[in-house]
Amino acid sequence: MLSIDTGERATKAIDPNRLTKAQTAFEIENLGLHYGDKMALSEISMKIPKHQITAFIGPSGCGKSTLLRCLNRMNDLIDDCHITGTIRLDGDDIHDRRIDVAALRRNVGMVFQRPNPFPKSIYENVVYGLRLHGIRDRRRLDEAAEQALKAAALWDEVKDRLGDNAFGLSGGQQQRLVIARAIAIEPQVLLLDEPTSALDPISTLTIEELITELKSRYTVVIVTHNMQQAARVSDHTAFMYLGKLIEYRDTNTLFTTPRQKQTEDYITGRYG
Amino acid sequence: MDNFNISKHISGAFNAELEDLRNRVMAMGGLVEQQLADALEVMQHGDETLAEKVVNRDRKVNTLEVGIDEECTRIIAKRQPAASDLRLVLAISKAVTDLERIGDAAERIARTAAMQGDKRHRAMVMTVDAMGRLTQRMLHDVLDAFARMDVEAAMQIHQQDVRIDDAYEGVVRQLMTFMMEDPRSIPHVLDVLWAARSLERIGDRCQNICEYVIYYVKGTDVRHLDFSKVEDLLK
Repeated sequence: MLSIDTGERATKAIDPNRLTKAQTAFEIENLGLHYGDKMALSEISMKIPKHQITAFIGPSGCGKSTLLRCLNRMNDLIDDCHITGTIRLDGDDIHDRRIDVAALRRNVGMVFQRPNPFPKSIYENVVYGLRLHGIRDRRRLDEAAEQALKAAALWDEVKDRLGDNAFGLSGGQQQRLVIARAIAIEPQVLLLDEPTSALDPISTLTIEELITELKSRYTVVIVTHNMQQAARVSDHTAFMYLGKLIEYRDTNTLFTTPRQKQTEDYITGRYG
Repeated sequence: MDNFNISKHISGAFNAELEDLRNRVMAMGGLVEQQLADALEVMQHGDETLAEKVVNRDRKVNTLEVGIDEECTRIIAKRQPAASDLRLVLAISKAVTDLERIGDAAERIARTAAMQGDKRHRAMVMTVDAMGRLTQRMLHDVLDAFARMDVEAAMQIHQQDVRIDDAYEGVVRQLMTFMMEDPRSIPHVLDVLWAARSLERIGDRCQNICEYVIYYVKGTDVRHLDFSKVEDLLK
């Protein structure tokens, strides 16, 4: 009987739990988070790979957005929020006193559920962050705006009306504008918190296509309620439930042969 | 052990669709089993009316295959199944292809066996009798394992195919003797040989169905693997 070696035919999936230092963007160790007395995250340990797309999935209230917001210390803005454990970005503890939080957030950009352009022109929206960082040179700003809008797959649609108000764009275009604004300051990581939940299916596909293209330049972490979206765009998926990380593995394996029953029940739409 | 896990979806309609799919596969399995039993009966007694019935019923087997596959396509499009649900739909879609081919084999056997020949022809046909019973047993067992998605049973049944292969070799040797004794018997011998070959293929198809059971329950694709290593792989 002609036998085929199992190694030959298995799709080569990187185990996100066994990344080397060079492959790791974030290293989260034993992370816990409480809002007052309420536990929101508990014992989260995981590594988020560089230049890959990592998705967090789970039912409402499972802590996926909270975990995402920990990655650029957005939870610092919430009163009564207490964090334990460590998060390292490229080996540096992001909670270290010497860390400049503004610099961290510049390095770890974020895009939210609803597009939130500023009441300014398309151009001013994109260069807003650069201006904030003291860049005045018009040529440099023009170049950066063009590059960011091209990277966000919006350039061709807006290049002739950069002075128009951003509110005149469609929802999908506004979300791509917000992504362009986030990447104009060239962050290392892009955090996306349900970036397509307010968009129609075609705009959603455009954003998904964009996310896939962005990973060559950025580490992308996405929170999504839409499991098919996680399956379509991500390389690795983490399933969370009640503030805990239940299962974290390469997306292909998680959606075909999950190991944990809770994951299986969630992705197949069963009650536990 | 029953591993068929198709209930408990939040969507009751999805539960019902999967249950319906399962019932249709079982109905198809039952029909194919009957086809093989009747084909072997024709082989034993040369009943032409029964042979005709087998030939006509094959259309129903074909229709069931197409209908079940359509339902699988619909479920994939509408429900986007994942994990065990996805593996179930894929396993069923593959299993019905094998069942349909088993049906074809049964039809071929019935056609061949119905050609009433002389005593010598009957003697040739009888060489295939034991092999037929082995195959019938294997098909029955594999359908039972599929109905319960029983991995242990599937692993055991998978091994039974060796006996069918051995029986096939024995039949070939006997038929060669017939040919050597009387070259005029060659056309008849070839008919019987085709029937034996069909039975041997049914064994292979039953093996395939065992592999789908393992795939559904364990999530591991064991096709074309050296089966001695499969047990280690599944641990």
